[in-house]
Amino acid sequence: MPLQILLPMVVIGIAGVVILLHMLGRSELARFEDEDAARRAWLREYPGTPPTRVILSHDRHAALIETAHGAGVVWPMGMDTTARFLNGADIRRTGDGLHVDLPDFAAPRIRLRLEDDEAELWPTLMERKENA
Amino acid sequence: MTEDLTYPDVVNFAVPFFIAAILAELVWIMIKRRGGRYETRDALTSLLMGAGNVASGIILGFVAYGFFMLLWEITPLDLGTSIWVVLLCFVLDDLRYYWVHRFGHRIRWVWASHVNHHSSQHYNLTTALRQTWTGTFTFMMLVRAPLILLGFHPAMVLFCGGLNLIYQFWIHTEAIGRMPRWFEAVMNTPSHHRVHHGRNPRYLDANYAGVFIVWDKMFGTFVPEYEKEKVDYGLVHNIGTFNPLRVAFHEWVAIWRDATQPGLTMRDRLMYCVMPPGWSHDGSRTMSDGIKRKHLEAHPEDLGTPGFTDMAGRP
Repeated sequence: MPLQILLPMVVIGIAGVVILLHMLGRSELARFEDEDAARRAWLREYPGTPPTRVILSHDRHAALIETAHGAGVVWPMGMDTTARFLNGADIRRTGDGLHVDLPDFAAPRIRLRLEDDEAELWPTLMERKENA
Repeated sequence: MTEDLTYPDVVNFAVPFFIAAILAELVWIMIKRRGGRYETRDALTSLLMGAGNVASGIILGFVAYGFFMLLWEITPLDLGTSIWVVLLCFVLDDLRYYWVHRFGHRIRWVWASHVNHHSSQHYNLTTALRQTWTGTFTFMMLVRAPLILLGFHPAMVLFCGGLNLIYQFWIHTEAIGRMPRWFEAVMNTPSHHRVHHGRNPRYLDANYAGVFIVWDKMFGTFVPEYEKEKVDYGLVHNIGTFNPLRVAFHEWVAIWRDATQPGLTMRDRLMYCVMPPGWSHDGSRTMSDGIKRKHLEAHPEDLGTPGFTDMAGRP
């Protein structure tokens, strides 16, 4: 197929599908019903490391997880979730929460929208557990 | 000798069909409120990976084709172009696909290319298009060499490979439950391929087939979809990015980081490239057989169910 036809067809096709999905409300982020849901999401990634404590963010889109092997975060990947330990993470405050840089090419950063009190508290818990 | 043989580039011609089928599946899901899930950024990433795959084929396709034409020059065999030869080529190329796909899950160097196809936590028709950009670098074109040397023209082999890929498009769906029993027995189907995309311990390293599921049955890697355990899609360790560049290259970067650690022997560095995903020089990580074993230790009642026919965790 000539590129002059293939290229516009691919561009229009991708744009059309993406716009349609967004208009149909398929861009929402995962939200945890409760702490148990966040716990299950964590265990889905780290079945051998059960949480000792789960702290949901106020908007329920993320959770800080404490385990015997250090702290981690579970956060949305679109409608689904993923999780990482925070070993080697660089954590800094932003206007609406925290920005976490991870030493992981496949999960390079986490943007957490947090209330002011959460954004104050979480780094302390993250770093304390990181050194546990 | 068959020299100037050409076949249509069927994968490119199938692009309008792919788009139409994605829209049809989406409408089906919306109307029926079942049969799969779509998510905007996940679908965008899958579609961009598909477009990148086509682009990489245009840019790097000459490497494989040049290699195949070189083989065609040296082989004394020419099976011609009859329909029976094309059919035989299709079947044998599907056998070739089975082994390349199996290598793609059991050799980390090849997995680095294939992993992106499994990186979505969704399973819909866009997932089918989440294809590699780096296939050329796996050198898996070598597995096609016997077909060319046996006398199948390179253009015919690539044509059959294209048909194989198109067949596999429609099986990436949850909208279809089971096909008729005879079809499920012989052909790869949505049910069989859902298993292949599962990250559940019972579904790891199973159902590598492209078109004919009989290869998995012959080589002992077949696992049927188990009604009592829904497939959980994605990677054992799910990625945390939708960036297509990171999706395409993350496992290559991981291999580089592992193999260049200080203090390793040359053998360790090589093993990080060729051993199955999850291998580590100090045993600190777990490969799929270990994941299955751990699961059985925690859930011995699963022994004897699909994917767990023995304590070693073999399917």
